[in-house]
Amino acid sequence: MADPPIFESPVVRSYETAGSGDLMLTDISATTKWLVRASGSVGAVAARLGAPFGSSSAAAGGALVLGSRPGEWIVLGTADAVAEAVEGLEAVDGADFVSALDWTHGRALFRITGRSAPRMLEKVCSLDWSDPMTPDGAVASASVAKVTCDIARNDAGGTPSYLVFCDRSLGQYLFDALIDAGDEFGLVVGPAGG
Amino acid sequence: MLLVPCPNCGPRNSADLRYGGESHARPDPATASPLQWRGYLYLRDNPAGWLRETWYCRSGCRRWFTLERNTATNEFRDPPQPGDKRGSKA
Repeated sequence: MADPPIFESPVVRSYETAGSGDLMLTDISATTKWLVRASGSVGAVAARLGAPFGSSSAAAGGALVLGSRPGEWIVLGTADAVAEAVEGLEAVDGADFVSALDWTHGRALFRITGRSAPRMLEKVCSLDWSDPMTPDGAVASASVAKVTCDIARNDAGGTPSYLVFCDRSLGQYLFDALIDAGDEFGLVVGPAGG
Repeated sequence: MLLVPCPNCGPRNSADLRYGGESHARPDPATASPLQWRGYLYLRDNPAGWLRETWYCRSGCRRWFTLERNTATNEFRDPPQPGDKRGSKA
């Protein structure tokens, strides 16, 4: 069996930032990401994954499950946790067809953390990111800086934090656009991770 | 700004959607005459008033849906609810 391909981030160019550190942008594209799609009666798959459309939940093994679209989920976390979460999904009763696809190399993933993260996002996205409309756990798909993205609110220790996914080919552009949008809020670029 | 009521995502800026044009019933390919096909493919009613039309939520749920919009006032009525298959192409 061939070795798995070495992950290369879509972000190849970063910048020195001089912000206060209250708002942080981190490239976490290396995080394992799987896309699950189901057709027909998708309720059984939704119940198994525990995340209806527009919400997120933590799977038993520690993976994060995002209900990104009707009949569509994104599962992310460590490789083992994601494998545990998607194992056996194809055999779930009720749905006509279920597919699970490793998306790790196809999508860029960024985390934006900080008190001013909602205001920063609202500069480049038309959705309302205030607490009443999008509380912790909310998931939405929308245009961010003219790029179609999946966005999940995943607070870190009470501080607003957002996961932003986009196609890999647009990752560098979106990264640059987010740095530009966060400049006035004192954004700093965190160490890349996953 | 035109707010379009997507049945899955809620009100969205029309720039986040793709306009699919007037919604017509597709004629039966087995029995339709060339004139009927021409009308289906190329002719539009274009009323100044209520019109049933299709939209694609390209930045959100990526689903097609139909809506009734008043082309004179941009008012929407009777928006479909989640799971409603009216006019769905997906």
